[in-house]
Amino acid sequence: MNEEYPAHQIRDIIKINYKYTMGGQSKFFLEVMNNKKLLGTKCTKCGKTWMPPRVNCSDCYAPANWIELKQTGTIQVSTIVWYTTSAFIKAIPYGIGFIKLDGAETSLLQGIFSENLVPSKIKKGQRVRAVFSKEREGKMTDFFFVPEDEYEIWINKSEYEGGD
Amino acid sequence: MRKVAIIGVGITPFKARYLNKTYFELAYDATKLALEDCQADITHHDLESTVYGIYNELFERQFMPDIFINSYLGMNNKPGTRIATGGATGGYTVRMAYAEIASGLSDLCLCIGVEKCNDCYDEQTGTTTPEVLNAIAYSADMTYEYPMGMMAASSYVSMVNAHFEEFGNPTEEQMALVSVKNHGNAINNPKAQSPMKITVEDVLNSRIICYPFKMLDCCLYSEASAALVLASEEKVKELKVDNPIWMTGVGAANTDCFIGNREDMGRLYSNIYAAREAYKMAGLDYSKIKTQIDLAELHDAFSGQEVISYEELGFVPFGEGGKWIESGGPMMDGELPCCPSGGLIGCGHAVGATGIMSTGEAALQLRGDAGKHQLKSIENGRAISHSIGGPGAAYAAVIVMTNEEGLKIP
Repeated sequence: MNEEYPAHQIRDIIKINYKYTMGGQSKFFLEVMNNKKLLGTKCTKCGKTWMPPRVNCSDCYAPANWIELKQTGTIQVSTIVWYTTSAFIKAIPYGIGFIKLDGAETSLLQGIFSENLVPSKIKKGQRVRAVFSKEREGKMTDFFFVPEDEYEIWINKSEYEGGD
Repeated sequence: MRKVAIIGVGITPFKARYLNKTYFELAYDATKLALEDCQADITHHDLESTVYGIYNELFERQFMPDIFINSYLGMNNKPGTRIATGGATGGYTVRMAYAEIASGLSDLCLCIGVEKCNDCYDEQTGTTTPEVLNAIAYSADMTYEYPMGMMAASSYVSMVNAHFEEFGNPTEEQMALVSVKNHGNAINNPKAQSPMKITVEDVLNSRIICYPFKMLDCCLYSEASAALVLASEEKVKELKVDNPIWMTGVGAANTDCFIGNREDMGRLYSNIYAAREAYKMAGLDYSKIKTQIDLAELHDAFSGQEVISYEELGFVPFGEGGKWIESGGPMMDGELPCCPSGGLIGCGHAVGATGIMSTGEAALQLRGDAGKHQLKSIENGRAISHSIGGPGAAYAAVIVMTNEEGLKIP
């Protein structure tokens, strides 16, 4: 290299559009969207309950059947995010955590909303209940969890409603 | 399996941004450095195969970036394979390059990792990091977890918080000690991005990222490349290499990428299985490992995970990692120095390059060639490098290496 040049930078973007199928998991998203139900699956052989649902049991390679789960559960672990990706930076601070629904054996990552978003309010052991958006698209963002004692507050907001 | 040696190490400086280089130009620099480091008369023409460690296509703005590096390195018409296992890409790449030689497929193999993340740019904030984090977040499960705003820090913090719930450890102060140590160690590493003399209070007072991680608990994303030249025993003899570092154990394991599926959310079983496998292969003992090795280059992407790794890799019993750093165990002059290079917190994290840098750094320590951060005492002549990463840090790889004789300190 004989001569120094300044670096040349270009603006660019990679964008792909999808019409993605949820495949065997479709029923979970359809039930959330249409009926505000949370469905897991139960292995026909070992009886393990999967949430997020799997129509095949990864432990014993047997089919798993759909079962309706309760919409209450317990926070297993959580955090509050204060700095994040470009896609979520406008949402900070937000709470997320792994929630074991009553009757499930595995935990689901979900948003945890609270009128008072502090670590002590969403810590391990906190009982939570699902709240649904009134306008649902069959996605994980159709619902979230709130501390049980805030349930009435959240379902009375104009954009949200309770499940069953 | 045949014996495998590291005979050349090449590491570029870890920087926030190389404006004057592309990813393949950085890979070229590391390859050239590694070839120059070999005490043998070889050129790239002598290398029989390449294993590439490149984590993220979105960083590189190029899918299958390995084939473009293959062209730029003049490695056409030879086999080249790419490994992508998140933050563990480097360690896994070393493992596969090991297999290339151990199996007899090659006698000289180039193991190279590169990453150049900061071409990503977030127009909203006018900074790179949120877009880098978004490019990484696409590695989370796209159906259930990405839409919730899951990202690298929140994934690690879940494990650290669960570990704290179970063991009362690591505390925020104990995590801060890791940051102080690794930023401090980096002061003596001229290739490190974040050398800093800081205090526990500085860490505790830095801005909150993801409760309870603060800014100084987190590594920075870097741009860099690191390369190793690996050789068979036959080739080491033929080339009359007199400072080979033998790789005696390679272990890897993947735990469930869905943290919610794990029975113990506060433990990375992948770390435990990878370490046990690597130690066993090297003839070492998981319960005595702390006294059988001289140093460990750990994957400290987040300070809290380094503390937990002390336990998972067998240095101390579960629940005692925090106490161990309080007592100075992993410090430069401690029982088992951890991250003498500065680790990811001190050097930076150039994902695909990181585990190869860690392995190369450990090899240089065993050779006595680490420079200003050379350890004073290498008694066993053994070291480990450790890589973890991916969704929920599901991937883990551990490499054991030795100079076979302890070190005559220069």
